[in-house]
Amino acid sequence: MPIRLLSSEVASQIAAGEVIERPASVVKELAENALDAGARALTISIAEAGRALVEVADDGSGIPASELALAVERHATSKLVQSEDLFHISTLGFRGEALASIGSVSRMTVTSRVAESATGARLRVEGGISSKVEPVGAPVGTVVRVEDLFYNVPARLKFLKADVTERRAIDNLVTRYALAYPHVRFKLSEGKNVSLQTAGDGDRRSILAALYGVDVARQMLEVIAEEEGLRLTGFISPTSLTRSNRKEITFFVNGRWVQEVALNTAVIQAYHTLLMVGRYPLTALFLDMLPGDVDVNVHPAKAEVRFKNQDRVFSFVQRAVRRALLAYTPVPSVAPTTLWGGRPSEPREPGLDWTMARETVDGGRPTAEGQPSEASSPTPQPETRPAFNLPLLRLIGQIGSAYLVAEGPDGLYLIDQHAAHERVLFEKLMAQHGMKSILSQALLTPAVVHLPPAQAKLLEGQIDVLNHFGFEVEAFGANTFQVRAMPTLFRGSDPSLALRALVEDFEEDEAPLQAEVEARLAGRVCKRLAVKAGQTLTPEEQRALLSDLETCESPRTCPHGRPTMIHLSVDMLERQFGRKGPR
Amino acid sequence: MKVIVLQENLARGLSIVSRAVSPRSTLPVLSNILIASDEGRLRLSATNLELGITCWIPARIEQEGSTTVPSRTLSDLINTLPADQVQLILDTQTQSLHVQGGTSNNDIKCIDAQEFPPLPVPDMDGAVQVNVADFKEMIQQVTFAASTDEARPVLMGVLVTVEKDQITMAAADGFRLAVRKATLSNAMPSPISAIIPARALNELARVAGDGEESIYMVMPKGRGQVLFRVKDVEVVSQLIDGTFPDYHQIIPRNYKSRTLVSTNAMLKACKQAEIFAREGSNVARLDIKPAQSDMQPSEVEISATSEETGRNETIVEATVDGGGMLIAFNVKFLREALEAVKTPNVAMETSGPNAPGVIRPVGNDDYIQVIMPMHLG
Repeated sequence: MPIRLLSSEVASQIAAGEVIERPASVVKELAENALDAGARALTISIAEAGRALVEVADDGSGIPASELALAVERHATSKLVQSEDLFHISTLGFRGEALASIGSVSRMTVTSRVAESATGARLRVEGGISSKVEPVGAPVGTVVRVEDLFYNVPARLKFLKADVTERRAIDNLVTRYALAYPHVRFKLSEGKNVSLQTAGDGDRRSILAALYGVDVARQMLEVIAEEEGLRLTGFISPTSLTRSNRKEITFFVNGRWVQEVALNTAVIQAYHTLLMVGRYPLTALFLDMLPGDVDVNVHPAKAEVRFKNQDRVFSFVQRAVRRALLAYTPVPSVAPTTLWGGRPSEPREPGLDWTMARETVDGGRPTAEGQPSEASSPTPQPETRPAFNLPLLRLIGQIGSAYLVAEGPDGLYLIDQHAAHERVLFEKLMAQHGMKSILSQALLTPAVVHLPPAQAKLLEGQIDVLNHFGFEVEAFGANTFQVRAMPTLFRGSDPSLALRALVEDFEEDEAPLQAEVEARLAGRVCKRLAVKAGQTLTPEEQRALLSDLETCESPRTCPHGRPTMIHLSVDMLERQFGRKGPR
Repeated sequence: MKVIVLQENLARGLSIVSRAVSPRSTLPVLSNILIASDEGRLRLSATNLELGITCWIPARIEQEGSTTVPSRTLSDLINTLPADQVQLILDTQTQSLHVQGGTSNNDIKCIDAQEFPPLPVPDMDGAVQVNVADFKEMIQQVTFAASTDEARPVLMGVLVTVEKDQITMAAADGFRLAVRKATLSNAMPSPISAIIPARALNELARVAGDGEESIYMVMPKGRGQVLFRVKDVEVVSQLIDGTFPDYHQIIPRNYKSRTLVSTNAMLKACKQAEIFAREGSNVARLDIKPAQSDMQPSEVEISATSEETGRNETIVEATVDGGGMLIAFNVKFLREALEAVKTPNVAMETSGPNAPGVIRPVGNDDYIQVIMPMHLG
């Protein structure tokens, strides 16, 4: 077959594939345009989950009739003039591709009026062919109507998911944008069904309720942190509220929804040892920084960004989240209904009564411990962690040779002696060992390890780092590496398993080997050092354990993520004894 | 079947074969021991399908027959019977074994001998013949260096090679290597090379007994098995498939520093260092110091530090030939290596902190060990 230049239609359809892959992408592009145009209200209507119709109407600045024809051309934008502008983009869009891409795979009508003009203008684009601009009466702003998406790209159509899925993707997207722009009124409807309507009054928590439900929204902890050129706001879930995957970790960077592994990892690390293995938090976090410090021109859909100083952003996010979390991490309190009912209490399940978290969240009042709620104050002092993570406890005694009973200012505390001792020892050992001395054990014969291309590529860039972590690795042909030494941390003797484990750390963007170090320590602490349930402790030992626990950084969970203590509040006791009516 | 045996003979036989019993198996018969009359003796066999052990004990056979008996039940019972005659009578109808000793009468439920996996009947022609004591020493000097990590099965075995009148055993776990040679009394016509599970060799060493008998080893062609016979015991094991690393090129040909120490003194120093090292990284540092003057003779300083327990430092007199050096080893490897050395003095050779350390008994060229060093990353 002879080689030919692609016709412009085909070329635009191909290009559109990168940006527009499903109805939700149309919504995203159009909503971003509207937000860039300074809209205060966005009305989004869809039909058949966006297949038949996506209409986005805004009250933004509009497009003058004279520019309308140009607006739907590829690489036409008002947001960028010269290439230098690319490095400090403050608008959501800039590629000048959205309208052209959508137009090439659908029947699109753009109606717009600027405030200075008495009449609006309308333009139709069908499969990339635009009609003449015609005058029409319209309110100020722009309405883009996208009908029969992918009517000319049947392959794409075939790959769309079930209506429910596509609809959920749109819901998710619009809700998240509503969250990022609480001052803009959003309305999303399909026919008569209004699935989201926000007031545009700046109250994020009410939008959060629309996203996760009232209960969850009430429990979410607020994060506000600021550091030179970086500002993080938003909400994170308390340790009681988790999901089994990372999908609910939402990040906006400068108002743009991004899926950035590094940021997600920073959040997960902040929760480290506070959540059970395999559980992930929910977050809606908004990171603001100077436009020049972030490169958004990485991915056509702009889902990925690059930071000029990734380490700094990473540690800032991690610290901010950790601080907010530690300030709030509550002792699981027992719900009255489950206390005497014989059902084991499951403090990690949402829906139980997390008194302290709620109090702080609702009013920003001082927490039950009497400390100011640090994270909700606008200027948190960096690096100061709460002096007391636990309230002052008065020891009462030991029961069942397994639990300590103590009284705090707000009720009764039951402390699992094994879990508590594990936490104490774990923090002590972690402080001693840290990551300082990584010992490397040389191998008798170099091991040759093959890796899949993606992992190999990742590793190639990190060989220096690897050698810092006790490996001695060198490239040995395509996707092949030769290992001459490996860190002694690994229990097994198989260098290829060890190397793969490390590459996975890199992939997950977790601190390399951190998991091994912690797992080993936690295992050792648990098996060999910590007091067991069933061991009678003298009052002196009990008191020592309590005071050691008080000095811990995260005293409320053991290194495996189980709670160390259960709280029975005075309030709850009173209700149980019938002195107070149920809530 | 009706058999009369002496309690002590049966107890000894059961203790030998029960090492091959698989205590938890989805195949119930593998938890049993086969007992069978065999040409005027009683044959006891057990296998876990990887390792099989058979032992013959003297018996008076009044009626031929065979069955399989649960190992724990039979062993525990026989061990408590008086040291006298024990009568075993099988009811073939119910597969129930009546065991009578002294005033004790017992009936044990058995499984038909037909279900027991057949063990190979070897042809001992062309067997390699080695003195038991020598063979046991060889085994003890290499098997500890084999890996216990199931991720690399080849290293869980010992490479046994026979060439002419030379037999060599080599084991390595990726970090250390132990190689032991011995000379056979008669040369073999064709070379042998096989990887035998370290566990099978350890069991062999355990059951082989002492004395001046010989161990006979055969590897029937194409069977993937090795068979050892010593006196009235046979041990059969599956061989490990795979390629053993070429250890010849691992052993350094030269050194920059050679340190001679008393094996015992060095071993003690290592044991002391291990008390501290085991809490953390398992690392022991060796500071090899050549003589500076007559006032300052050469020595090795062994030290270990633990963040939790504290630190240890022991000085061992040494004769250092070559330059001084600071080198670190996994102290467990070092201790095990020294424990395997039988000579009063031992030589440690190395070329640098990142180069392999070689350990040789002084006055015995048949045994060599290589330990890879550790270093701070």
